[in-house]
Amino acid sequence: MSADKDSPVVKNAPLRWRSKIRPSDAIRNGTHGLRSRKGRTFLTAIGIAIGIASMVAVLGISASSKADLIAQIDRLGTNLLKVEPGSDIFGDSAALPKASPAMVRRIGPVESAASVSKLGTSVQRNEFLKDDNGIAVLATEPQLIDTIEGSLSHGRFLDQETSSLPVVVLGSVAAERLGFNSLDSTPTVKIAGVTFAVIGILDQSELNPDLDRAVFIGNDAAGKYLGAKVVPTGIYLRANPDHVETVRSVLPQTVNPADPNEVKVSRPSDALEARAEVDKNLQNLLLGLGGVSLIVGGVGIANVMVISVLERRGEIGLRRALGATRRHIAGQFVVESASLSLLGGVIGVALGTAVTYFYAHRQGWIVAVPLAGLAAGVAIALVLGAIAGLYPSVRAARLDPAEAVRPS
Amino acid sequence: MSPVLELVAVSKEYPGTPPIRALDDVSLAVDAGELIAIVGPSGSGKSTLMNVIGTLDRPSSGQVLIEGNRLSTLTDTGLAGLRSARIGFVFQQFHLMEGSSALDNVATGLVYKGVRRQLRLQMAAEALSRVGLGHRLDQKPPKMSGGERQRVAIARAIVGDPAIVLADEPTGNLDSHTSTEIISLMQRLNDEGSTIIVITHDRDLADGLPRQVAMRDGAIVADTADVSIETVAARPLVGVGSSNDMTKRTNREGGKQA
Ligand SMILES: Nc1ncnc2c1ncn2[C@@H]1O[C@H](COP(=O)(O)OP(=O)(O)OP(=O)(O)O)[C@@H](O)[C@H]1O
Ligand SMILES: [Mg+2]
Repeated sequence: MSADKDSPVVKNAPLRWRSKIRPSDAIRNGTHGLRSRKGRTFLTAIGIAIGIASMVAVLGISASSKADLIAQIDRLGTNLLKVEPGSDIFGDSAALPKASPAMVRRIGPVESAASVSKLGTSVQRNEFLKDDNGIAVLATEPQLIDTIEGSLSHGRFLDQETSSLPVVVLGSVAAERLGFNSLDSTPTVKIAGVTFAVIGILDQSELNPDLDRAVFIGNDAAGKYLGAKVVPTGIYLRANPDHVETVRSVLPQTVNPADPNEVKVSRPSDALEARAEVDKNLQNLLLGLGGVSLIVGGVGIANVMVISVLERRGEIGLRRALGATRRHIAGQFVVESASLSLLGGVIGVALGTAVTYFYAHRQGWIVAVPLAGLAAGVAIALVLGAIAGLYPSVRAARLDPAEAVRPS
Repeated sequence: MSPVLELVAVSKEYPGTPPIRALDDVSLAVDAGELIAIVGPSGSGKSTLMNVIGTLDRPSSGQVLIEGNRLSTLTDTGLAGLRSARIGFVFQQFHLMEGSSALDNVATGLVYKGVRRQLRLQMAAEALSRVGLGHRLDQKPPKMSGGERQRVAIARAIVGDPAIVLADEPTGNLDSHTSTEIISLMQRLNDEGSTIIVITHDRDLADGLPRQVAMRDGAIVADTADVSIETVAARPLVGVGSSNDMTKRTNREGGKQA
């Protein structure tokens, strides 16, 4: 008989019989189960969708708020520098040399500069009020307004002529604290008992909040009416935007050649930039919550897939009978699980983008949805789905084919 | 010419106390172009035999050869490959995808052969017209009669032109008229060249087929083509189990002692 081991008719493993499936068919098989159970597919995908949506929304909202700050910084410019005296070895604030504003103006890429000199006195609305209102009295130069690119809500700033007159310009907060919101009644203030006419009120300065809480008089007027010795306590300057760092590096030497270490140079826009980074903790917390809902969603998918494998015993048996290998069966269920999760990911990305758009729009921000975040959301969902599908797919692949085709 | 299928002293035991001997030293040879009915009472091992022939299950001992290839040398993946190319299955419960058209269901029979979809659909349409459903390609199973569904399943089994078509109780869910139609279809496909093994409870249906193999307690007790079982073959098959007997569930243990 041909079954005899020595018989030449008996052949061993014929390699020409190989099951193979085209990638497009593997995907078709893997999504067939989802397409034929649409309701369940949608409900199962919701968990992932919520997780991805919250992550995308968190990233989108923080990116939008950041984009808004950056736009603000761009608008305000990053070429405004501020020079202040550092503290000396005793911790006392030193003054800047009297000639320093002129020296600063002599640096090539400096476009404009103005000094402020804090006077050791206070400003009141009238002589009967003596409370400390936290308003600084600064003697300054007319160039200050151009240097800080400030604007006035009322009146005008000091000029060459008014710098030597008993007139004052109020910072926005100072005006508020002193109780002025217009110049209609030709208001005056008292500085060290001397009456100064208010000729202007500044708008809020986004880069220099300390100037909002100050009033400004001319350098000459400070000497003339208050008998004050004007020593610069700060210099504001605009550098050519391409040479900000160069200017910054030569400033200490220029301002105080004798003691460059006692000069502090800062860039007011840096403070705004720092604000763009503050909400990291909250962001991480929300991302964590999104991550938790992703895990819950993934477990949900694994759960539904296990049930699906039990329900589809017959289909699995049929596919094995048609020539599917264990690997093909496992692949089908992994693809199914990954597609299910991918669907959730796509819904989640759309939802998260919508939330970002809505929220940022309401805040009046620029809408910035990070594309990398969207791609990551979809990719995370895909990988998560594939992982969630591993256990169910192994169970499906392990089903004994003879058992699977048996009528239940 | 070597047989397309050969079983040599095949036994199959399922674990248990005592172990269940579902196949007991079965030897059988089937030539290409045959149409065989396997009959026997419930629990006699017909489905087990079918699974072993169809390579869904491995025998505990003995050899199975398909087209001269010893199956014991094949891995699980190798067996799947063999099924994809050489074996077509028809089941009692059809195993059709409810949401897919007749055409798509039949085309599924070629998915694991790596046939591209366009060609698959073309071949599926041909197979459907061979089973007389050329006009219902887009129909979905829920809208088809039992007979039509089984014809879709038969088309799926033959679409890849397998060496052997195995049908386990293909008429089990059908009325007698439809069952006769299905058996006639099998006969026609056999005339066209297919090698077909049909399991059936229905004595009358089996009687119409060219060769009948009778089983009881996991053993072949009659084979109209096998001269080696002369004693049994000499007697009429009705003696092995009448159609009335078949409908009763035979006590296997009792049968063994008898
Ligand atoms: N997976 C299994 N585990 C244990 N015993 C099994 C298994 N499958 C079948 N059997 C036993 O093997 C014997 C043969 O079963 P089989 O299904 O092959 O019979 P059959 O002739 O197809 O019966 P039926 O006509 O009812 O379908 C029976 O006693 C059955 O209980
Ligand atoms: Mg059976």
